[in-house]
Amino acid sequence: MNSTNRSSKWKAKFLNFVMDNKALIILMALCAVGFVATNGLFFSLTNLTNVVRQICTSAVIGIGFTCVIASGNLDLSVGTMLGMLGVIMAMISKTALGFWGALAVGIAAGALCGLINGLIGVKLKLPLFIVTLASGQVFKGACYLLSNTSPVSGIPPAFRAVGQGYWGPVPIPIYIMAAVGVSVFVLLNMTAFGRRAVATGGNREAARTSGVNVDQTIVLVYVLMGVCAAIAAAIMTGRAASAQPPAGQGMEMDAIAAVVIGGTPLSGGYGKVGGTLLGCLIVGVITNVLNLAGMDSNWQLVAKGLLILFAVGLDVASTLYVNNKMRRMRKE
Amino acid sequence: MPRDEIILEMRDIVKTFPGVKALDKANLRVKKGEIHALIGENGAGKSTLMKILLGIYTPDSGEIIYKGRPVNFKSPGDALTSGISMIHQEISLVPTVDVSENIWIGREKDFQKGWLIDKNRRYQATEDLLRRLKIQINPRTMVHRLSIAHMQLVELARAISYDSRVVVMDEPTSSLTDSEVRLLYAIARELSENGVSIIFISHKLDEIFDICHHVTVMRDGKYVSDHPTDGITKDQLVTEIAGREITALFPKEEAEIGDVVMEVKQLSSAGVFSNVSFEVRAGEILGFYGLVGAGRTEIMRAIFGIDKLDSGEIWLGGKQIRVKSPADAIGHRLAMVTEDRLRLGIIPNLSVTLNISLAYLKTVTRFLGFVNRSKETGDAEKMVGALNVKTPNMRQRISALSGGNQQKAIIARWLQTNPTVLILDEPTRGIDVSSKAEIHRLISMLARQGKAVIMISSELPEILGMSDRVIVVREGELAGDIPRGSASQEKLLQYAFGTIDTQGG
Repeated sequence: MNSTNRSSKWKAKFLNFVMDNKALIILMALCAVGFVATNGLFFSLTNLTNVVRQICTSAVIGIGFTCVIASGNLDLSVGTMLGMLGVIMAMISKTALGFWGALAVGIAAGALCGLINGLIGVKLKLPLFIVTLASGQVFKGACYLLSNTSPVSGIPPAFRAVGQGYWGPVPIPIYIMAAVGVSVFVLLNMTAFGRRAVATGGNREAARTSGVNVDQTIVLVYVLMGVCAAIAAAIMTGRAASAQPPAGQGMEMDAIAAVVIGGTPLSGGYGKVGGTLLGCLIVGVITNVLNLAGMDSNWQLVAKGLLILFAVGLDVASTLYVNNKMRRMRKE
Repeated sequence: MPRDEIILEMRDIVKTFPGVKALDKANLRVKKGEIHALIGENGAGKSTLMKILLGIYTPDSGEIIYKGRPVNFKSPGDALTSGISMIHQEISLVPTVDVSENIWIGREKDFQKGWLIDKNRRYQATEDLLRRLKIQINPRTMVHRLSIAHMQLVELARAISYDSRVVVMDEPTSSLTDSEVRLLYAIARELSENGVSIIFISHKLDEIFDICHHVTVMRDGKYVSDHPTDGITKDQLVTEIAGREITALFPKEEAEIGDVVMEVKQLSSAGVFSNVSFEVRAGEILGFYGLVGAGRTEIMRAIFGIDKLDSGEIWLGGKQIRVKSPADAIGHRLAMVTEDRLRLGIIPNLSVTLNISLAYLKTVTRFLGFVNRSKETGDAEKMVGALNVKTPNMRQRISALSGGNQQKAIIARWLQTNPTVLILDEPTRGIDVSSKAEIHRLISMLARQGKAVIMISSELPEILGMSDRVIVVREGELAGDIPRGSASQEKLLQYAFGTIDTQGG
C-alpha cells in the first residue's frame, strides 16, 4: 500500500516536471535529431554559437510578445514595425546623430508605435489584434516610403558592431538578448506592473474590480513591445550592415509560435520569459538542422511550418494526456 | 382553458449536487391547457426542477409522466421533439439571420428542393405559424433588429412550431414593457385556449393572479402546496413561500454600532435602479435582500465604480466622494467581494499570494515599481493564517483550491486594503457548510472591529441571522428598511414580492 503510494507520488512528481519543462524536453529531442541528421556537425561550437546568434532578433521580439500574450492580447504589427524601425535607425545613423542618436530615436519611435496601437485599442474599445493587423500595414507602407523600397546601407561601424561584434568570445547580440530577457523577466515577475499585466490577462473583469487600471496596463504592454521591436531592429540591421525594408515581415508568427511552445498560454494569464527563449531556440534549431542538412530554402519554410504545428500539437496533446493521467491518479 | 386531463406529472423528484440537496421530493401536476405558475424564493428549486423536465439534469429518483407514459428525456432536443420546450430568460436566437431561419433552424431538410432550400416555402410556413399565433412580425426581419419582447415571441413561435404541448417560460416578463407584457399574456391565453399548457416561473404575484389558473409553491427543493389561483390570496401565498422553520441560524456576535460611515443619496441608473438612498454605520452589518434581478448587485457595483451611475451622491465620513472606477473606490477605502467568484473574483492562473495582494499592490510597491516580495508574501501568509485558508503553499494556483477557500482568499484580498466599508455580494453562495460558518464568524468579527459591512444575500436565514438591519430591494427601488428586531421571513418576502407598499419598519 505504502510503496504504491510512494511510487504514484513519484510518478506525479515526474509528470509535473515533464509538464513544467516540456519546451526543454522538446528542445533536447530536437538536438538529438540534429546530432544524428548532421553527423555531429550540429554540436560544433561554431554552429551552436551560430544558432544562438541567429535567434537573437526573434528572441527579443518573442520576449516582448510574451508580455503581450500574458496580458491577453496579440500584436500582429511587430514584424513590419521592426522593418520600419530598422530603416529609420539606419537613415538617422548616417546623419550627425550617429549610431547612439539613431538608437535613441528608434527606441522612442518604437515606444510611440506601441503607444498608438495601445491607445487606439483601449480608447475605441477595438480588439487589439485587429488594430495591430491594420497598423502593421501602415508600418509596412511607411517603411517602403521612407526607404524608397531600397535597402539603406552605409551604416556606421558602431551600428554594425551591434549585430556582428564580439565581447570576448561571445557575440554582442547575445548580451543584448540576455539583458532584454532578464529585464523583462524582472519586470513581469517582480514589479507591480508585471502583476497587473498578468492579472489583466488572467481575468480582466476581476483585475478591474480589484483596482487595476486595465487600459493603462495594456497600453504600457504595447509600449514595451514597441521598445523590444526597436532593439530587435537594431540587432538585425547591424548584422546585415544595412536596413532591408522587408526585414521582419512574418516575424510575429514566429514569435507567437515561440511563446506558445515556451508554455505561455495563448489565452494569457501568465508569461514564461525563459520558456519563450527555449521556444525561440527550438525554432532556431529546426532552421539550423534543415540548413545543415542542405534543404532548399523554400522547402525549409514548408518544413518549418509543419514542425511548429507538430511541436504545438504535441504540446497540447501532452497537456491533455498528463492532465487526464493526474486526474485519474488523484481519484485513486 | 384547463381541461381535466393531466398532461404532465412530476412525482417525488430528488436531485443532489455535491453537498446540496437541490430537490427533495418535488411534485408538479399540470393539466392540459393550463397556465400553471411555479413560485418560490430564490433557490427553492424551480429552475432545477425544470432542467430535469427538459433533460438537462438527470434526477436521482422520481418519475416524470407525460401524456400518461413515463418519460426520461436525454436532452432539451429530445424533450422538444416530444413536445416540451422551454423559453429561457436569456434569448437563444441567432441574431444575424432572419426570423424565419431562426424558427426552422436545424430543420432545413423540411424545405429542401434538390441541393437548395426553398426559402419561399419556408417564409410561407413562418407566416402561417405567426398568423396562427397572432404574432405580428415579418418573417424576413433580422433578429437583431427585434425588441427583446419580439425575440421572446419568436422563441415562443419556434417552440410551437415543434407542436409543443407544454411550454416552460422562465420569468418571461422580466425585461418587457407593460404593453409587451400584455401582448405576451394575450398569446399565452390563446395558446391555453388551444390546449397548450404553460408552466410560468415568476416572482411577480400580480402576474400570477392575472393570467395563471393554478399555482404550485416550492420551498427548499420541496413541494409545499398547490392551489387554483382563485382560491388563495396574495398574503396566504407569501406565507406559504416563507413558512420555513429556521433551523440553521447564523447568529451575529454583538458589536457596538457607531456613527454613519457611508451615506448614498438618490442613486439612479436608467432602467436598473432609481432613487436609492441609505446609510451604513461603523460596526453595523446591513443586509440587502431582494429577489434575483431586483437590482441589489447593480446598486453595489455602481457604488464601487464598476458600472456607471446616472445620478446621485456618495458621502463617506461626511465628505462627498466621486467614484469613477474600482481604483477610486479602493482609494476611498471601500472594498467589494463580488458575486460570481469564478468570473469576477479569482485570477485562476495566479498563485494564492498574487491573488491576495492584487488590490493593495500600491502598499507593497517600492521605488521604480518593484514589489516588496517578502512583505507581500508575509502579509498574504498572515491573512491566510487569520482566515484559515487551506492551501498547501502560497505559490499554489488559486484555481486548485476549494470554493470555500477561494472565497476566503478573495476576502483576504480585500481585507489587505484595510477598508472602512466592506461590501459582500453573496459571500457564501455555493460553498461548503464549514467554510460558510467561518465566513460568518469573520464577518461578525470585522463588524466588531468597527468596519461597516454591507452584505447582499439571497438566503433568508443568512440575512436574518447576520444583519443588524435589512434593506429590501424590489424592482430597482428600496422597498423596505427593517431593523433586526422586527425582521422576519414573512416581512422580508412581503416587501420583496411587493405585497406591502409603504416604506418603513
